[in-house]
Amino acid sequence: MKLLKPSWVNHNGKPIFSVDIHPDGTKFATGGQGEDSGKVVIWNMAPVLREEDEKNENIPKLLCQMDNHLACVNCVRWSNNGLYLASGGDDKLVMVWKRAAFIGPSTVFGSSSKLANVEQWRCVMILRNHTGDVMDVAWSPHDVWLASCSVDNTIAIWNARKFPEIVMTLKGHTGLVKGLTWDPVGKYIASQADDHSLKVWRTMDWQLETNITKPFSECGGTTHVLRLSWSPDGQYLVSAHAMNNSGPTAQIIERDGWKTNMDFVGHRKAVTVVKFNPKIFKKKQKNGSTPKPSCPYCCCAVGSKDRSLSVWLTSLKRPLVVIHDLFDKSIMDITWTLNGLGLLVCSMDGTVAFLDFSQDELGDPLNEEEKNAIHQNIYGKSLAIMMGSQLSSTIIENPEMLKYQQERQGNQNPNGAQASGPENQTPKLTNVLNGESLEDIRKNLLKKQVETRTADGRRRITPLCIAQLDTGDFSPALFNSVPILPGSSASTQLIPQISSDSSTANSLGLRPSHDPTSTSPNKTAEDNKDSGTAAVNSIGMKSNLLLTSASKIEPMKALDSRFTERSKATPGVTSVLHDNRVKDSSSVKEPKGKDETSSDSEDKIVVKSMTKRKGEMEGAEVVEKRKKGRPRKDTPVSLEKEPSRLTTPVALLKLPTPSIQKSFSTQVSTDGVTYLEVENEVSVVSGSRLSQLKWSREGREWDTLLPSRIIIATGSSDVVAVACEDRTLSVFTACGRRLIPSIMLPAPMSALHCSGHFVMALTASATLSVWDVQKQTALVKNESLNPILSGTEATVSQSFLTRQGVAVVSLSNGKTYCFNSSLETWNLIADKQDSLVQCTDFRSCVSSQDALGSMGPLALTQGRNLSAGRLASRLSSTPHHLQQGMTLAFLEKQLASALILLSASEYRHWLLIYARFLVNEGYELRLRELCQDLLGPVHKSSSSSWETTVLGLRKRDLLTEVLPVIGQNLRFQRLFTEYQDQLELLRLK
Amino acid sequence: MAKVQVLNVAVLDNPSPFGNPFQFEITFECMEDLPEDLEWKIIYVGSAESEEYDQVLDSVLVGPVPAGRHMFVFQADAPNTGLIPESDAVGVTVVLITCTYRGQEFIRIGYYVNNEYTDPELRENPPVKPNYTQLQRNILASNPRVTRFHINWEATLDKMEDSENVDPAPNTMLPPTSMPSKAPPLGLMPDNSMDCL
Repeated sequence: MKLLKPSWVNHNGKPIFSVDIHPDGTKFATGGQGEDSGKVVIWNMAPVLREEDEKNENIPKLLCQMDNHLACVNCVRWSNNGLYLASGGDDKLVMVWKRAAFIGPSTVFGSSSKLANVEQWRCVMILRNHTGDVMDVAWSPHDVWLASCSVDNTIAIWNARKFPEIVMTLKGHTGLVKGLTWDPVGKYIASQADDHSLKVWRTMDWQLETNITKPFSECGGTTHVLRLSWSPDGQYLVSAHAMNNSGPTAQIIERDGWKTNMDFVGHRKAVTVVKFNPKIFKKKQKNGSTPKPSCPYCCCAVGSKDRSLSVWLTSLKRPLVVIHDLFDKSIMDITWTLNGLGLLVCSMDGTVAFLDFSQDELGDPLNEEEKNAIHQNIYGKSLAIMMGSQLSSTIIENPEMLKYQQERQGNQNPNGAQASGPENQTPKLTNVLNGESLEDIRKNLLKKQVETRTADGRRRITPLCIAQLDTGDFSPALFNSVPILPGSSASTQLIPQISSDSSTANSLGLRPSHDPTSTSPNKTAEDNKDSGTAAVNSIGMKSNLLLTSASKIEPMKALDSRFTERSKATPGVTSVLHDNRVKDSSSVKEPKGKDETSSDSEDKIVVKSMTKRKGEMEGAEVVEKRKKGRPRKDTPVSLEKEPSRLTTPVALLKLPTPSIQKSFSTQVSTDGVTYLEVENEVSVVSGSRLSQLKWSREGREWDTLLPSRIIIATGSSDVVAVACEDRTLSVFTACGRRLIPSIMLPAPMSALHCSGHFVMALTASATLSVWDVQKQTALVKNESLNPILSGTEATVSQSFLTRQGVAVVSLSNGKTYCFNSSLETWNLIADKQDSLVQCTDFRSCVSSQDALGSMGPLALTQGRNLSAGRLASRLSSTPHHLQQGMTLAFLEKQLASALILLSASEYRHWLLIYARFLVNEGYELRLRELCQDLLGPVHKSSSSSWETTVLGLRKRDLLTEVLPVIGQNLRFQRLFTEYQDQLELLRLK
Repeated sequence: MAKVQVLNVAVLDNPSPFGNPFQFEITFECMEDLPEDLEWKIIYVGSAESEEYDQVLDSVLVGPVPAGRHMFVFQADAPNTGLIPESDAVGVTVVLITCTYRGQEFIRIGYYVNNEYTDPELRENPPVKPNYTQLQRNILASNPRVTRFHINWEATLDKMEDSENVDPAPNTMLPPTSMPSKAPPLGLMPDNSMDCL
């Protein structure tokens, strides 16, 4: 074993609370106290490992330091994939850092260290939830979650793929939570707190698995951290500070039954940190000796407040090595290199130590395969979460799959930034410099920058946006570069320029009227402005300075204090400022159109006029527009003339009928603007009143006369249907030819719809009929709405007919039904109160190009409702498995509904979402059934009832679309291959 | 964490005659779109002895500030010589750049300023009444002192208590007598455990 204390790894003497080695072993991060903030530093590992690198001045030691945390950093942890660094600190925040590739060396402005950052790590996410100091953070296996624990007694589980989404807040500890560790298998997370307990939580439902208190009952809350650790084989959990017979120990907890029979003894003070070696070892086989079968074992490092470090092998009864007096203060954190042979320890005294072991000392590390084999032996296949990193080691078994995977990767690369995961959060960088070099911009910045005057005479500068978030194409040249010294002439020229600016603002009349009681400095400033000279302005600002003598203080010291003392708010300035902000912003002339506030007003106007127009359009389409003319009085004469109407039993009239109007017009069929105009009682011929129906489309028109007053007129591109007061229904072709003699209805018409060749009639006695007037057949014959209306107070709020002739009826209670003519049943297709909808979450399965496919009758009935459900799923924290089940049920319902509505495009849309969901969540059986149905029998047999198409879509074509979705998950590669081959076979036939 | 990070301040036109305007080229980065303007101020410390000789040379509003990296030049007139105590005109003083958001100061950047006569004759025998036309102002641009304050960036909450707005750490130029050490977290800690100043 070699021991090294690299003195150059320090926070200028301030304590280092955490250390973590990057998974690739090239760098490590430290976290702790900085000069005026918390501090995270990323160091180069090479100078620690090799002496020649340490001496080589060309090899940087410090790679990056970040002082964004406002207070001490308690924990730094790399994600398992090495892309992110998470840090938690006393400022109650967790920050997630990502390396920015494009920015050159920079320093932290104002920091005393003049060392340039070699690597640029930037905070891409700030996670705010904790109400107290964050003590520990931990990434779950495969980086699915990030856990953080805090002195607010809670543990937050963050969704690492959708920061800053919180999956769950684990509550239950009654003391400061000071350490976290994930089960390497991913089934549990364990936490240790000052409340004398260690709790194990299930990741399945985030409930408490076990609460271990016995070994901790004697413990006092004296340690800063309690970093516990789980062994790499998952079998043992080792706690920090525990007590056994009044002696400090590290308690070993067995996974099997959470037994607490063993502990690591020997430290004289509380154990602060335990860290398992990531490798599992087996006995080193010496050359020549007979290979003895030996049990694999784990290795564990224990650090304590007694400033000593012990390293243990689970195969030995005594520690492998104990190092005393390694530090002056308590050990705070330990991290192993990924190869398991190196170890970094940090201490409150602000130093770190590196231990280098040889394989002779620790043993032969098992490779990943052997380690996986152990996991599989113990936990079986099902427990291991199949995620990216594991899948990468899965062998692709067939060239088709390989080709597909390669294509997919190729497609992903150009827009890699849009890949899932936290990268998503990073806004794309855009260069707004228009090819101008930064130096050019800097030279002219003062002249170019837009400066205006606010209404109260204050200068307002619009800053030049030189890079949008994030990582930026920002030229490194800016930092620490020698300032360009503009000639003094340039600066003097500026003054008139500004004043002319302000005077134009004045002349434009943008200055709002002022409260005469505004404070004097502002008033002075205003007066100055009125006189048009900006230069005098500053006097106004100065007028509030008071001149009084003060006690003598030593100048330098007095100056020093000035750097940190907060200035008092300038009285009267800010308040006036807010009042005038809005008006002021509209006066800013922004050349780049980046000014949101100024463009806002314009936008609003545009939007307003747009919506107005839209409203009119809709009105024309849907609402029957009342034309001029006297409001018609209901004449008793007409009633006398049609005594038949009176025979209609009033009790049966469940649905409202539209009132008769003297005249109205409607717009029908969207392709080619077609108008229907109705004028009742146009003329009286031999005692009977005639009504006129007028049809017009793009200049062509026809009209026809009807013997009774028209209640409803509607039409499609193919037919026109008219319901009259005498309960007759007349149907005409688009050219005005009568198709069938008047149909006598059993009751007055309530609603009438046409779509294609289909006519749907909803009568006042709540019966539904649908006819295909071309084939002259009835699809639905006088079907009663009783099944859906009975037992509810609801009435029909909306009804329509799909292009395929399916009648859809929405009720006022939020339920929507359609009538299926083959089953002769009413089917519920949408329900606004459906709890399934509220909790579904399939956003991840919707791709952008799907948006078009989702248009159709199904979307029409449930459209807004659906998005509300998506929102609800984000608000409520439903356990994952429950949500999964609900989503599955919902998607299957959607698919069935689309099928019954005969809506092909929607069926395809939901089929693909359903397939993606099955693939994502790993429902193999359902996937197989789906594929089987789409593929059908390979060999034709007469007994087979398999239809080759569904809603006019060829099933095998659908399968060709579904297969690439399946191919996205390597886990289903067998399924993919199986159906790909069969499809290929059928294609050859 | 602060929504606005100052990345760099370049001191332009330095050194320069005393009467020249101050020019600072300020580069800052904003994490998210700010609904309100930032207010920047240049404060000239007229005398080390009292704050009352401070002059706010100018204050500007900067906005709108969308998320991203921005820069602007802040120019302000030279201090009013009439307000500077004669004994403090020559020698070392301080110029401060402060930035406030919603009336709360979140960063304070300080520079030492050395006012000197360029003429060796005047330097040897400085006149009792300072001759400002002969004075040269030299800002120690390489050594900014940056102090950050924790403020409430959101509009919804009331302004934070002043007691919370304590300097998060001692200044580097102070004698290191009260370096913060991590207090053992017993019970509830104050919001800012670094209040040891």
